[in-house]
Amino acid sequence: MNSYPPELLAQLAPIMFVAGLDAFPTPSSSQPSTPTSTRANDFGLLAARLREALQAQRKAAIWQPEKTKTFQVILVDREVRFPPRKLVSQEDPQYSAAHSPLSPLTPTSPLHPDGLIAPIWIRKHTSLVPSVFVLFLRIFEFPPSNSGSPLDAPDSNRERERELEERKRDAELAAEVALRKKTTNERGIKLTVVLMATRRMLDDPTLDTRLTFIRRQSGLDSRAALFVLSPVSPSELGEFVKSLQQALYEPALEYYTAHSKRVRRKRNRHSQATSYPIPIQGSSNIARPLRPEGWTVRYEYKMACFAEFRGEDEVALKHYQDAHSMLVVMFGSTAILPPRTKRWAEAKVLADCIDVKISKLYLYNNEHALALSHHNTHMRIFSDFSRGWGIGEETFEYWSWIARQHRILAELLEQGTRSTLMLPVHKPVSAVSNASLSASQNHNSGSRGLAAGTLEVDSMRSLGINPSHALQHPGFYYYMAAKCTEMRRERFLTALELENTQKSVMASPGFMNEKKVDHLTIILELYTKAYELFKKYTIVDPQNPTQGRLTLWIAYQIAHTYYASAKYDMAIRFFERIAKTYRREKWGPLLHPLLSTWHACARELGDVELRVKLLIEMLGHDAVEEDAPTSYGEDLVAILKSTVPSSDEVLIVDISESQPIFDSNVVFWAPEVKVGESAAFQLSLIAPRNVPVSFLPISSLSIYFSHRDSPLVIRHQDSVAPPSSFQLVNLTNVASSPEEYGDVFANLRWQKGGCFIFAGTISSELPTSLKVSRLALTIEEGTWKIEIPFDPCGFRQGLSPRSRWLSSVDPPRYLPIEREASSSVNVRHRSHALTVSLTHESPAYLNETYPVTIDITNIDTRPFDVVVDVLLPPIEIDGAANTIILGDERSTNFIKGVPFGVLAPGISAVKTLYLVNTGAPGDRVVDISVQSRSTEAEADSAEPECQDLTETLRTLVIPTVDPIKVSQTISYTRGLAEWPGLADLNTFDGNIWNYSRTSEALVRTTFESAGPSAVQDHECAKIVDCSSDHTEDSLSDYFPGDELSHIARIVLAPSDVEDGESITNTGSYHVNWRRIWKNGDRGPLATTVVPMPALRPPVEGLLALLSVPPAATLHVPISLILTIRNYHPSRSANVVVQLELDASDTFIVAGLRSGRVPILMPGEEEKLTWKLIPIECGHAKIPRIKVIDRRPVFTGGAEPTSEMVTKGELVKIVDVRFDQRPAHTTGTKNDVDLDDGALGTILVLP
Amino acid sequence: MAPNLRLNAVAFISPQNHPILIRTFAKQDEHSIKYHYIAHTSLDVIEERVSAAGKATECYLGLLYAMEDVAVYGYITPLKVKIVLALALSDSVVRDVEITMIFKALHMTYYSAISNPFLKLNPPTDAAHDHSPYLLVGSPKWKNFRMRVDEISRVVGNTPNAVSNP
Repeated sequence: MNSYPPELLAQLAPIMFVAGLDAFPTPSSSQPSTPTSTRANDFGLLAARLREALQAQRKAAIWQPEKTKTFQVILVDREVRFPPRKLVSQEDPQYSAAHSPLSPLTPTSPLHPDGLIAPIWIRKHTSLVPSVFVLFLRIFEFPPSNSGSPLDAPDSNRERERELEERKRDAELAAEVALRKKTTNERGIKLTVVLMATRRMLDDPTLDTRLTFIRRQSGLDSRAALFVLSPVSPSELGEFVKSLQQALYEPALEYYTAHSKRVRRKRNRHSQATSYPIPIQGSSNIARPLRPEGWTVRYEYKMACFAEFRGEDEVALKHYQDAHSMLVVMFGSTAILPPRTKRWAEAKVLADCIDVKISKLYLYNNEHALALSHHNTHMRIFSDFSRGWGIGEETFEYWSWIARQHRILAELLEQGTRSTLMLPVHKPVSAVSNASLSASQNHNSGSRGLAAGTLEVDSMRSLGINPSHALQHPGFYYYMAAKCTEMRRERFLTALELENTQKSVMASPGFMNEKKVDHLTIILELYTKAYELFKKYTIVDPQNPTQGRLTLWIAYQIAHTYYASAKYDMAIRFFERIAKTYRREKWGPLLHPLLSTWHACARELGDVELRVKLLIEMLGHDAVEEDAPTSYGEDLVAILKSTVPSSDEVLIVDISESQPIFDSNVVFWAPEVKVGESAAFQLSLIAPRNVPVSFLPISSLSIYFSHRDSPLVIRHQDSVAPPSSFQLVNLTNVASSPEEYGDVFANLRWQKGGCFIFAGTISSELPTSLKVSRLALTIEEGTWKIEIPFDPCGFRQGLSPRSRWLSSVDPPRYLPIEREASSSVNVRHRSHALTVSLTHESPAYLNETYPVTIDITNIDTRPFDVVVDVLLPPIEIDGAANTIILGDERSTNFIKGVPFGVLAPGISAVKTLYLVNTGAPGDRVVDISVQSRSTEAEADSAEPECQDLTETLRTLVIPTVDPIKVSQTISYTRGLAEWPGLADLNTFDGNIWNYSRTSEALVRTTFESAGPSAVQDHECAKIVDCSSDHTEDSLSDYFPGDELSHIARIVLAPSDVEDGESITNTGSYHVNWRRIWKNGDRGPLATTVVPMPALRPPVEGLLALLSVPPAATLHVPISLILTIRNYHPSRSANVVVQLELDASDTFIVAGLRSGRVPILMPGEEEKLTWKLIPIECGHAKIPRIKVIDRRPVFTGGAEPTSEMVTKGELVKIVDVRFDQRPAHTTGTKNDVDLDDGALGTILVLP
Repeated sequence: MAPNLRLNAVAFISPQNHPILIRTFAKQDEHSIKYHYIAHTSLDVIEERVSAAGKATECYLGLLYAMEDVAVYGYITPLKVKIVLALALSDSVVRDVEITMIFKALHMTYYSAISNPFLKLNPPTDAAHDHSPYLLVGSPKWKNFRMRVDEISRVVGNTPNAVSNP
């Protein structure tokens, strides 16, 4: 930016001249103010503050998009004179034909005859001619009479004197103002006068008349032309300054509008006139007048500037664009603008500045793409022109100009981002977001253009962006400027070389100038700026605070520049930092050129040790094709031979961060070995394929193992045989102490891609993990001793190849080792040989104390201390509450540490574990852990994995079954005892068991395979008798499949129980039993409890019970008794009984044939008796009896029909001999046995 | 008629930020290292875009930056393999659709290349380097991947833009 005149770049703002403030001396605080000067001091302070406030309104800057109504304030002398409009005086008759002193038409002008616009024109408008003129003046104040008291009568003499004096002074003031007004009026500049007065004066009643007088006398405008200011506080002063600018802004705009109008008039006149009157000059070939195109540029530029003064950015933009395009037209023709002339150079500067202005105005509006588009177009057009002008891409002038363009854009953006410019993020618009969203994202500022245009741009944007129109942060443009400057330097160096070789004297002034330029400093400055900006715009991820790769890239360029400018120490500092990240990222191709430049720096500095380090690191990188592949190694050897180290200490070159020289790997054959056993390993070192390392003077290779401190050293021994591509070095057994093992010798010279395998065995007396902790190569040459430690498993390409085991030497064959961590081996104690046998007789029965015998035998050669843990894991079986008993311990889940004692070899110990299972049958699981501890090993070893301990685990699944299979069947019968009378008081005595009106339940229980039992009572049901009474204590053996049946008769009380409820808990069987083991032993006594089943007696209604003897003798009378019972709890019954004799009947019947039984109340019974005499032998059918209940059942709703009343319902007749019913089930309670005829038979015997 | 897109280079970068394959289609001169730098530096912008987007990351990351004569575009596969595209900078609108299409083709190429079962013929024993078969795919040993990437570049260079810019 500094390469352009600042006038052409700065943002223009209305100019305000402020005069008269210098008249007040600035108060110096150091001097003690005397009372007389207090007032003067007040005004001095006010003036100083005013100056400060006014000048702070606006700073001249390039980027200033604010549109507040502020002025560029310039403090001037009260007597300031404006530059003359024209050279001739106004009275001169030639005045109308004359032009401005700056016009190309004026012969004395610097632009004469064909200049376009000079910065001086802008300077005239920004510093010599204001748009408004503010004049600060002090109004006269008559000194107050300090002698007289306020009570004195007004002194008329003094009053008059004062009036006269005031009038005189005011007239003088007005005259001065009028003089100034005349000069400002000539140029249409607004004049405003600020009168400064004391506070006392403000209250003076005569002030208004005085002010009016002054204004009239001086010819000031009526509006915003006269202010009165008294000394006020800074904040009030700020208000004043603000209101002053507000009031004067409008006149300022008018001023610039008038200028614009004037210029436009001239332009229109000019464009209508086909040829401008050209003043005839004597030598026209030297100085040709300005072409019409030039005039257009001039007028457009002027209009743009005036619009910019007014703050009308869009108008300014339009005029600047017109000016720019016209300039392009002019440049297009060498006739209009001959290249490499003064005017041509001026025009070029003007074009560049206009381009900056246009870009800036676009950027004010956040139209990044348009700004960049214009800037790029400008650069492209002028690049094209440059070729025509002979300053194409092969010249430094071209690159200098391009760099300047990039730099000015960067500087503009940098200024912009410091205030209002927001950089866009070029994220793709996601496909789902609709147009409105994309509009808001991409154009959040919104162009102020037409809505349709915006929409079009948005739709374009949503499709994609033009990468060259994507605004990026200024660092990118600084970077570009630096790159172009590098190109410029390159071209310059070429030109310099050409000059030296040809010795031609083609030294153009440009080239002479270029020789003075320190290109590298410029490049460095630009890169540094870019670096800072890249750093500033890097969003640092707090989780991953790596320095940005982009900044490293710039840093790399800086380092290169330092290298080019021979500041090698600075370059090295940069390289160190950059290499750290590149090594970590394992991005070899980036590291390689860096290392070689770094090495070049070290060579320049003569730092031998750094060179050695770098060369060794570079050996790890594959050579780039064009490099001589041997160079690094040869360089290294050459250095080692020709120099001596700075100190006698061993130089350690740690390359574990970077790529190793050798592909190395360690493989152990077995994943695990026992204590004292030797573990076989192979260490392979494979030299790179394309970097020769055979001439490296390697003196030894040290292998460091994890379990011992001193390394195993393999020393180099020259052999006559040429280095082979494959070599096996047998290390045999590597002892744990170095004294026992001498050094090994081998020929440590690798061919390209050569493979060395170091094979050996290793053992440990302690359990541990064995591995190779690191490797170190020692290079010795002269006094140099360099140690290169590296990782035992490292690979040049960053890829770990699979581990493989050399199985055959000639030809080399490998076996793959397919396991993780194949480069280490675990050493463990030998496991203890114990046999654990568990014996038990499956299955176990529930409730039984089930023995499991644990038999542990030591079959090892060492004695062991054996401890057993037993775990009973919880199982998901209903009601399972299991217990384990081992020795004295008893638990429901875990028994820990039951000692079995120290078992000498060959000795066994036996313990019995008891398991008691309850609940449902199912499998029970027991985990048994036998831990054996060596008695020899020290018991206080802290680490558990080092203890010589073996654990043997057994899991036992024990199926558990019921010992006795129980099946129960229930049948119910009606009680046959006579019912007590309805009012029998005995029935209310609770102590007496009421046998009447009961039913009985017969429970048949069948046990399968088990022993005797006992019985219990219940309050609602009473067990009358059962078969066990007779079999108690009768022990007998039952084998599987044996059954014992048992019947219990239970009397049930009247149906107090609600319908559907069952009677439970009526009693239980306790079966005490012992298991008979296979060897005939009896097990412990176990008890199985079998509860009685739940009883659900059936519910009865009206019922007839028929009781006949099962057998009769011919001709001997028998009784047939029919008992009609009303079981119903509330209904009485009206019952009719009919006995119908049939001709085929084999009985003679005596008794009621048909009759009505008295009404049966609920709970009442009626007994009818017939006498029968059998007259035939055999099974005789019982005569047919019908019992009809005349009382119909109202099922609700329908009236009982007469038919139902007369017919009635048949009542069920039950033969008591066959009385058995299943349990009550709801819903079938009114079932009536309608098989009324088939009452059974009586066996009649002769 | 907009000019064709011209690919200068394509870079595949592993989830651990190691280069898998960097293929340059410009002249094979000193510029090939330049595309290494471009691939490396674009990781900065990719990481920035990915962390800014949070979980709802789209694969296509858009224009990463434009520098010197190339415009750099980025793409991240769901398994965090990064694909970087260096286009020759030209003064025309580059449609996201087309770039996405190229990226998808490259992604599929990578995908089919790593499906080669022979890549796992010599599996590394180190579990920590589980990704390494995918680095192998770019090694000179496996030509198919390179050939297909070159084919994409050729097709892109020969196909005129589907839609000319208004």
